[in-house]
Amino acid sequence: MFCRNQTARATVARGSALEMEIRRGKFRKSVFLDTSQDSDIQKKIDHEIRMRDGACKLLAACSQREQALEAAKSLQTCSTRIMAYMSELQRMKEAQVMQKVTRRSSDAGPMDDRLPCKGKVAISDLRIPLMWKDTEYFKNKGELHRCAVFCLLQLGGEIFDTDMVIVDRTLTDICFDNTIVFKEASPGFELRVELYSCCSEDDYSAGSTPRKLASKLSSSLGRSAGKKLRAAMEPGPCSPISNGGASPLLLPVPSVAGPKYHLLAYTTLSLSNVQDSFRTHDLTISGNEECSYWLPLYGSMCCRLAAQPHCMTQQMISGRLKVKQCGGDPQSSTKVYAVLKGTSLFCYHQQEDVEANIEPAFTIAVNKETRIRASEKDPHSNVQNICISNQYGGEEVTHTLTTESREDTHRWMEAFWQHFYDMSQWKQCCDDLMKIELPSPRKPAPATPKQGSLYHEMVIESSDDLSSTVSDILARRMQELELRSQLGTSSTWMSVFEENSACCPHPCTSHLSGPRPCTLHQLSRSPVSPHRCPQLALLSSDASLTSDSDSHRSTSPCSHHHGWPEPSSNFSLLSSSPSHLRPRTLSLDAKLSTLRGRGYGGGGTFHCSCQPPPSSLLAPLPISSRSPRSQRSTQTTLSCSSSTSSNSSSNSEGSHSPAEGAPFSRPSMARRSLRNLRARLDPRNWLQSQV
Amino acid sequence: MTPLPSSPHLCFSFHSPVFLVPACLLLKMPVHCQRIEIQKLQQGDNLILGFSIGGGIDQDPGQNPFSEDKTDKGIYVTRITPGGPADVAGLMMGDKIMQVNGWDMTMVTHDRARKRLTKKNEGVVRLLVTRKSLEEVVKQSMNKYPRQ
Repeated sequence: MFCRNQTARATVARGSALEMEIRRGKFRKSVFLDTSQDSDIQKKIDHEIRMRDGACKLLAACSQREQALEAAKSLQTCSTRIMAYMSELQRMKEAQVMQKVTRRSSDAGPMDDRLPCKGKVAISDLRIPLMWKDTEYFKNKGELHRCAVFCLLQLGGEIFDTDMVIVDRTLTDICFDNTIVFKEASPGFELRVELYSCCSEDDYSAGSTPRKLASKLSSSLGRSAGKKLRAAMEPGPCSPISNGGASPLLLPVPSVAGPKYHLLAYTTLSLSNVQDSFRTHDLTISGNEECSYWLPLYGSMCCRLAAQPHCMTQQMISGRLKVKQCGGDPQSSTKVYAVLKGTSLFCYHQQEDVEANIEPAFTIAVNKETRIRASEKDPHSNVQNICISNQYGGEEVTHTLTTESREDTHRWMEAFWQHFYDMSQWKQCCDDLMKIELPSPRKPAPATPKQGSLYHEMVIESSDDLSSTVSDILARRMQELELRSQLGTSSTWMSVFEENSACCPHPCTSHLSGPRPCTLHQLSRSPVSPHRCPQLALLSSDASLTSDSDSHRSTSPCSHHHGWPEPSSNFSLLSSSPSHLRPRTLSLDAKLSTLRGRGYGGGGTFHCSCQPPPSSLLAPLPISSRSPRSQRSTQTTLSCSSSTSSNSSSNSEGSHSPAEGAPFSRPSMARRSLRNLRARLDPRNWLQSQV
Repeated sequence: MTPLPSSPHLCFSFHSPVFLVPACLLLKMPVHCQRIEIQKLQQGDNLILGFSIGGGIDQDPGQNPFSEDKTDKGIYVTRITPGGPADVAGLMMGDKIMQVNGWDMTMVTHDRARKRLTKKNEGVVRLLVTRKSLEEVVKQSMNKYPRQ
C-alpha cells in the first residue's frame, strides 16, 4: 500500500543493476511492475511513445513550415512527457524497493502525518514582453527574424503545452491565450514554465525545400549558413536539458530532420505566486544572442495563477448535528444537516435541501479566525460538544454543536482539524474562492486593449477592477469617436434645432462635450472637415446661449483632466461667427450636474434643454477645425463617459419623462419607448462605435 | 423643475422609418436576411458609413437592447446617421450584422468588428444583416420601460 507522503528518493547509483535494467528497457518484464499505479504510468508512456512516433512521421512527411513547426512542438511535448513519466516510474520503483527494505528493518508505525488536501491550479493569460531595439521595431529594417515559440508547463506529473505562436519584430509581447488547469496539485507545488523557441527562417528548413534541392544545399553551404544550419539541427551549447536537470534516462531519441526547439527561458512558480489577478514574474533566460532561436526577452512574464484547493470546492464532511447558539435560549438547539465546505459550515434544515440548492437555514463561518474546541463531557449524555467561536464585528459568537454519538464527535473534530490544516497550507488560496475559467473551445479576446508593453499593463494593474477600468477607458475613447463623427452629420440637424430654439423660452445650451481621456491610438478618426461650420452657425445664433457667460465658470477642477490638452478650437455656437475659436477649460463635474438636472437620456436624442444650467459646462473641443454643435447626444455621452471620473454618475435612464414635455407636443408612446431604447444604449455599459 | 421640451425629431434615426415608411412595412415581419451595400462617404480624411455598432464577444450581451436572446454576442446596429450612407442603403437600427464583405461578424470582438468596417482601402461594404420587425423592437423596449 502506497503512502502519500513517501518522500524518500534514493538515488540509483550509476551502473547499478537497477539502472542497467531500466536502460535496457527490460523493466516491463521486471518483477517491480506489479502495482496498478505502475501500469497506469506504463500505459501513459506507451501512449506518448505512440504519439511521438506519429509526430516524427508527420515531421518527415510534411512540406510546409507551419506544419513542421507544429509537429516538432508535439514531438518536444511528447519527449518531455515521456521523460517525466519515466522518471516518475523510476521513483516509484525505488520507493517500492525502499519500502520493502524499511519494512524489514524498522517498525512500520502508523503514519499519522497530516497531509493537506490537493487542489486545482490554473495558469492563464501568459504574456511575455519582448524588448526589441528601437531601430528594429520601428523602422523594420533588415530581414525579418521570425521565431516559433510555445510554452511547456509542468506540475507534478502533468505536462501541458500551449499553442505555438510565431514571433517577429512586429510583436511586442508573446501572448498565449490558453488556460491550463492542473487537477491534482499539492500546496507545495512547483509549476515549471519553460519557453521554447525555434528559428523560423527558410534558409535551413529542410521541410520547405524539395528534398533533392535541400540535400544539395546542405552539402554545399557556405561557412556562415552552414554554421546556422548545424546550430539549428543539433542541440548546441545553447540548449540545456528540458526537464529541469533530472537524470536523463536513455531513450531512443529519434533524430528527425526538421525544426528543433530549444529552451529559451524558464521559471518556477509556487504557492506564493498564486493570486487572483495578474502578476509579473521573473524569467531565467538561457541562451545568448548568438543562438539562432534567440529572442530579446524583457525578462519577465505576466500571467494569472489561480488555485482552488479542494477544501474550498468540495464538501469536507457532512452530517446531522444539533446546533445551539450560546447566549440564546439554552433549550433551543436546532437540528440541522450540516455541510463543511470552503470557509463556512452550512446548516440546512434537511439533507435534501443541499441537492435542491435551497438556501441553508444559517451559516457558521469557519475560517482562519475561528476557534474550535471540544467542550467538557456533558454529564447527561456523555457526549462531548464542539464549540465554534467567531468574532462578528466586535462580538464573539459561539455555537455549540452536538453530534449523535462519540464517534461522530471524533469524526467532526478530525474533519475540522484537517480543514484548518488545509487552510494553513494553502494560505491565501483559502481566503476566497478563486475563479478558474475552464478553457472553452473559443476563448473570447480579453477586454484589455493590447497596449503591447509591460508598462501599460503595470499601470492598469494597480486598479482594483481591471476589466471595468479598461472598459471605461474604451468607452471614453468611443465617446470621443462618436462625438467627433457626430459633428459631421447632415443639415437635417440644423433645421430641427432651429425649430426647437424658436419655441424654447429659455436659452438652450449648446454644449460641446469632448472628453478625451487619453491618447486614442486605436481610433484613427480625424476631425470633421471645416466646411460644416457654416451650417452650425445657425445653431449658434439661434441657440442664444446665455450659457456663454456660464461657460467661464468652471465649477470644480477635475484632477483627472490634467492629461487633457488645452483645446485649440471651440464652440462657435457661442458666438455668431462660426470660425471663432476660443479655448476653454473643461469642467467635467459641472457638466455632469448640469446634465443630470436635465435628465438626459441615452445617446442620439436631440432637444434643447430649457433649464438654465446650474453650472457652466463647456467642454473644450479637443480637435481643431471641429465644428461644434449642440446635441443632447454629445452631452449624454459626456455624462456617460464622465461617470467614471466623477462620482456624480448621472443615471441617464432615471429621469426621463420629466425632462420631456412642454412646450413641444407630447411625444407618442412609440417615441417614448424609442427614447427609452436610446437610454439603454448607455455606452458606459455597452460599448458602441461609430463607423 | 421646468420640464424640458422635447423635439419632434426625438430619435431622428429611428423615427424616420416609422413616420415615412408606408404602413405595410410596420406590420410584423419575420426575421430575414438582407444584403445591404453601403458606399462609403468621404469626409475629410475618413471614409464613413454613418452608423454605430454595439456588441462583440468581449462585451456584455445582457446590455444589448436589440437582441432577442440576451446571450447573443453579435454585432448590432445601434444608430443610423440620418441621410448618411447606411441610411441611404437601407440599414436599420437593430439590425444584426452577420457578415461584412464576406467576413464573419458573429464571433468577433467589438474592436475587430469596427476594424472590419473601417478598412481604409475599401470604398464599399457589403453587409449581410438579419432584421427583426420594427414592431418587435419597439414592443420590447416598451415592456422594459413602462410608461411613467
